[in-house]
Amino acid sequence: MGLRVIVDRQLCQGHGVCMSEAPEVFEVGRDGKLKLLNERPPEALREQLDEAVKYCPTGALSIVEER
Amino acid sequence: MQTVSSAGVTEPRASRPRGRPIPRLSGGLPLVGHLIPFVRTAVQLLERARAECGDVAAFDVGPKRMVLLTGTEASEAFYRASDDVLNPSEAYKMMTPVFGKDVVYDAPMDKMAEQFGMLLPCLQDRRMRSYSEVITSEVARSITGFGDDGVLDMYEYTKVLTNYTSSACLLGKEFREDMTEEFARVYGDLERGITPLAYLNAHLPIPAFRKRDKARVRLVEMISGMIVDRRRTGRVGEDFLQILMDTRYKSGEPLSEHEITGLLLAAMFAGHHTSAVTAAWMMLELVRKPELYARARSEVFRAYGEDGPVTYQSFRELPVVEGCVKETLRLHPPLFMLLRVAMKDFEYDGYVIPKGTNLIVSPTVTHRIGSLFKNPDDFDPERYGPGREEDKRRFAFQAFGGGAHKCLGNAFALLQIKSIFALLLRRFDFTATSDPLEPDFHGVVIGPKQPCRVRYRRIGPAEAGELTVKARAEQGAPKTGGASVAQCPMTGKA
Repeated sequence: MGLRVIVDRQLCQGHGVCMSEAPEVFEVGRDGKLKLLNERPPEALREQLDEAVKYCPTGALSIVEER
Repeated sequence: MQTVSSAGVTEPRASRPRGRPIPRLSGGLPLVGHLIPFVRTAVQLLERARAECGDVAAFDVGPKRMVLLTGTEASEAFYRASDDVLNPSEAYKMMTPVFGKDVVYDAPMDKMAEQFGMLLPCLQDRRMRSYSEVITSEVARSITGFGDDGVLDMYEYTKVLTNYTSSACLLGKEFREDMTEEFARVYGDLERGITPLAYLNAHLPIPAFRKRDKARVRLVEMISGMIVDRRRTGRVGEDFLQILMDTRYKSGEPLSEHEITGLLLAAMFAGHHTSAVTAAWMMLELVRKPELYARARSEVFRAYGEDGPVTYQSFRELPVVEGCVKETLRLHPPLFMLLRVAMKDFEYDGYVIPKGTNLIVSPTVTHRIGSLFKNPDDFDPERYGPGREEDKRRFAFQAFGGGAHKCLGNAFALLQIKSIFALLLRRFDFTATSDPLEPDFHGVVIGPKQPCRVRYRRIGPAEAGELTVKARAEQGAPKTGGASVAQCPMTGKA
């Protein structure tokens, strides 16, 4: 069981809020390209990930639990 | 690469209709269709179209065939469609005389994407944190002449205020300080050239359009003057103008002065009036709801005390204010409709919307659907709280649009409104006057009809910005972190 990050690329505009919340997981360049550094982040990052999802200006992120 | 204007959106539509028949709005006149209500009372027309036809509603405006899409599913189809299927450019031709030829919506698709990309760096999260301070100091500056009590036209005030805040944040200090009265006047002329009539023909020989065109010529002169000045003196600004002066297309080519002016205007237009109407509507709604006003007021005092600094992070601790901002945007979205032109036949839910049709989504209409928002006509900030979160359903709350073209200034706007209220509510108590609260449908953003005055009374001993400014002037020491900042231990949480 673990976490998986899902990015809706149609919605992402590259604001970089996720990177501010969880720099271990998200990297966004000035060009707005989002790079997922860790698609299956550890549970320890749960809180930061939830903030990233909550404050993403485009609602492009979701976190699912996988078993 | 194909340019938008050559893409054949006005080709004759000879093919037989496929798919199930699209419900049509009743009451259209021969030849003109629903032209008159579209120009005069477009919002009511759209509301009626949904009430009569449901999620998909067709009607004609003069020679243009329109289809309105409302509700989450139909809106989602609209927002997710790519530019080569539903194209925004053709629909925003009315903005070409304002932004300029070959700028944003008037540019070919690739170029448009590159230009929007040039706007992104100043709206990314890393820049956002510095803005709350800039905005707060602008608000402080704006109220220095208020005295202890008085009456104020709220929309008039927020127009001036957000002109300063947007330009200070996006365009930099120099621009903000150099904004003369002439600039405000010229800018106003540009704005008044944006009417539903411009959507039908942006080049009619009417006074509003003539003034608009004169104003743009003058603005290019003013901004070019700043560019030339910087190039001559070698002065480097820490602002958006500088970013645009330094940026290059992928081809290596720099932006022309015409393009820089156009992009600056696009940023100003996107950020200024939208924020002004939202701040005005929010205050006008709040003063009519004393119980809610009191809760918002105690929330900001709890968060910042009398003189606490307003930080980016602290905005997350203002659920009541945030709920009020969202509720304001839901009930009074600055843009009541967004447009695309179908470049190909567009299929949705068994309907085939023919190529050449103008598609519309309407935040105003979708925001008042009862199955998405409980008691949709009520101003109820609680609907965004834990357990309800009515804005989390994708494409229900669409005050900023959605998809690839969603408003880039979305986060900036929320930050700006919260910053304004975080200070205003701690400096004055605002109350309602007998001015009625009604929307004014003239212009592209929908503001409150003026006059829309509020009464204010100063609370607390002095105004923070005033104090700081005075103290600095007396000491002659322009140091960072004035007295008012030093004496506030309260940050963030209560």
